[in-house]
Amino acid sequence: MIYVLYFIVFLICVYTARHYWFTLNRLFAFQRHPYIDIDTASWPLVTVLVAAHNEEKVISNILGALMTVRYPEGQMLVIPVNDRSTDGTRAIIDDFVERFPGRIQPFHRAAGKGGKAAALKDAMELATTEVILIFDADYIPGAGLVKQLVAPFFDPEVGGVMGRVVPLNVGTNLLTRLLDLERTGGYQVDQQARMNLRLVPQHGGTVAGVRLSALREIGGWNDQSLTEDTDLTYRLLLHGWKTVYQNRSECYEEVPETWAVRIRQIMRWAKGHNQAMVTYGLRLLLGKHRATLRERIDGALLLGVYAMAPVTLLGWALALAVFFRGVAPLHGVIAMFSLTAYAALGNLAAFFEIAAAARLDGTRKRICLLPFLILGFAVSIFSVSRAALSQIFDLVTGAELHWDKTERFRKVL
Amino acid sequence: MNSWLAVAALILFVSLMLVLPLIPAFAELRSKSDASPLKVVQQHAGEIRHFANSFRTYIQVLEPTLQQCVASGATASGMLPDGVEYLALGQCDDSQTLSIQQPGAICPVTIAAGSDLVVPPDTTFLRDVYAGGRFRGGENNSYRAILGEKNVHLGRSSRVTRWVHAVGEFSAERDCKLSGRISSDSCIRLQGACNFLRLNAPQIETGHVMPGENSTRPHSEDNANAGSGVVQRFLYDGDFEVHADEVVTGNIVARGILHIGSGARIRGSVKSVSDMVLGAGVSVQGSLISGQQMFIGPDCAVNGPIIAERALHISAGTRCGSFQHPTTVSAPRIEAEEGVVVFGTLWAREHGEVVASR
Repeated sequence: MIYVLYFIVFLICVYTARHYWFTLNRLFAFQRHPYIDIDTASWPLVTVLVAAHNEEKVISNILGALMTVRYPEGQMLVIPVNDRSTDGTRAIIDDFVERFPGRIQPFHRAAGKGGKAAALKDAMELATTEVILIFDADYIPGAGLVKQLVAPFFDPEVGGVMGRVVPLNVGTNLLTRLLDLERTGGYQVDQQARMNLRLVPQHGGTVAGVRLSALREIGGWNDQSLTEDTDLTYRLLLHGWKTVYQNRSECYEEVPETWAVRIRQIMRWAKGHNQAMVTYGLRLLLGKHRATLRERIDGALLLGVYAMAPVTLLGWALALAVFFRGVAPLHGVIAMFSLTAYAALGNLAAFFEIAAAARLDGTRKRICLLPFLILGFAVSIFSVSRAALSQIFDLVTGAELHWDKTERFRKVL
Repeated sequence: MNSWLAVAALILFVSLMLVLPLIPAFAELRSKSDASPLKVVQQHAGEIRHFANSFRTYIQVLEPTLQQCVASGATASGMLPDGVEYLALGQCDDSQTLSIQQPGAICPVTIAAGSDLVVPPDTTFLRDVYAGGRFRGGENNSYRAILGEKNVHLGRSSRVTRWVHAVGEFSAERDCKLSGRISSDSCIRLQGACNFLRLNAPQIETGHVMPGENSTRPHSEDNANAGSGVVQRFLYDGDFEVHADEVVTGNIVARGILHIGSGARIRGSVKSVSDMVLGAGVSVQGSLISGQQMFIGPDCAVNGPIIAERALHISAGTRCGSFQHPTTVSAPRIEAEEGVVVFGTLWAREHGEVVASR
């Protein structure tokens, strides 16, 4: 029992060190933004896919925004992927098609497998350009965003690109404010540090792009995956393509405003991530492919982030058991320190990361909310652990993975 | 002490310690003083002419005054709506300008000229300058910003701290230090030893460009639209060399140092994770990307964007982009020899310099 506990403590220490490394890198090291200066070029043809499933509350915002972006005329085609919507999404899309002839080609999908990956997979029949951008329907791209996301594809090593997600409905309630802090840490520090260190920036599946030839090389969208973005990141990596992160390519999104929606969202992410861990983990670490050693290690750690929640819970249980059974830690003070600091309290380095990210963003007062993140952390750790357990149960019973759409909260325009 | 009391005191103390860090948190949650979304650049999108366009809008209120000044040849002064002092000039030959600003003086007001403007040497302009016609600056001047509706010419050893936009041609004599954004709708010409950061124009020339170098013909049959064409990719895990005069059709990615021999032709884009060295007369259809330093030899032709993550040296006779396919050349540090032509953007994040050809 004690050795299992020590292993868990070791894992948590590794993730702690990783968080500190990323944060310090972001604060003090050379920052890589290699493609952001490309403002003049022969801009290639680009297809913009907008994934939409019952998005009547938000779809007009993104289509309207895309019609005003600065990209050479005739070089950009928007394809709203209307995935079996039963609300007014179709009518709104058709209205835009009429108002902007030749610039929007709708893809109305009435049947087929559920989930974003399946819808994107079907919509690929219409996409013929080498560069494809993907947005979720609740995003609002700025005027320069399309060029910024296309620019990295001038690098022939780049297979995928990811921009920064910025919550729009920050001030709604405590949850939206906590999610804003989480996103800040995740993008401003975590993703950018991985970009700086040439590790594995993660493709987020929205505010993102993919090279068509790379996508075809890796076998297209995987409609078996709950998180097609994570799946894409690792398949690109295994085939020698890089995913790059553009911290200054920012785009507004809507974050969940209720805990129930948030829990469903994070459970889907956890299941999809774990699915990718099982599928690609060993192959990434030990297989013969083009990823570098640092990419293998970082990629494996990234795959394990959601698995750490149940592992940490197990660590807490073991720590309590060790205490009440009177088992003496084997290695004296250091072991005691590890047990109490990490097994009992969890990993607080992530909080440091978020505070640093808020500082980098130039925001000050919202850092005061940091102690409340304990609440978000508690909800996440139990939700993610529940997702992992249900995933194991599904695996045993052979149940099919179910894709949950994230509910929107914006008022219908 | 009663043991129950001690326990209660302990619980109270611990609870207090727990609640203490939450006090500012509750205060912020209630006051929402920092609850607006992070500001995202939604509109101007980094457009190099953003400040120039804003300034043009800003001084539009002076248009009637300027017209009057031009018609009468007089000078007017006053305050702009935000309280900034201005000087409107109607007829700006040397003598009149010199009567307004003596050499060595500091000009603290916004200058707006309805026609050509010639300013004396050794003058510091603390506010923006507008010239409705041509602008010609004396030597050793210091400017905050200049908007010229025709050509803008800066004398030797001049300095610009924020931006310049010339609707016509922009030219700078030797030893100028051009911080910020310099743009022209026509052409930018920089003489030797000029420092720069961000330049944008249909054509940018450093030093003296040999006749024919700035011709408008496309320099190859190739297309710079690197992102749109599907070509084969060659991926090498270590160093790699393209031999002299070799022709490669496809994209090349080297995870180490990449050498491209003289006269080689690449019909695709090229990436090296480490340094990249191009020999003389290399032509590249697509982009050049280096994760470290890049050295571009003489007389090369590159159609697509050129990006070096650390430093870039461009030798004389090299052309980047074309009129048909303008492009971006970017690195933290750039050395461009005299005789280089860039069509589009030349952007040095930290330091750019025009150096003598080797």
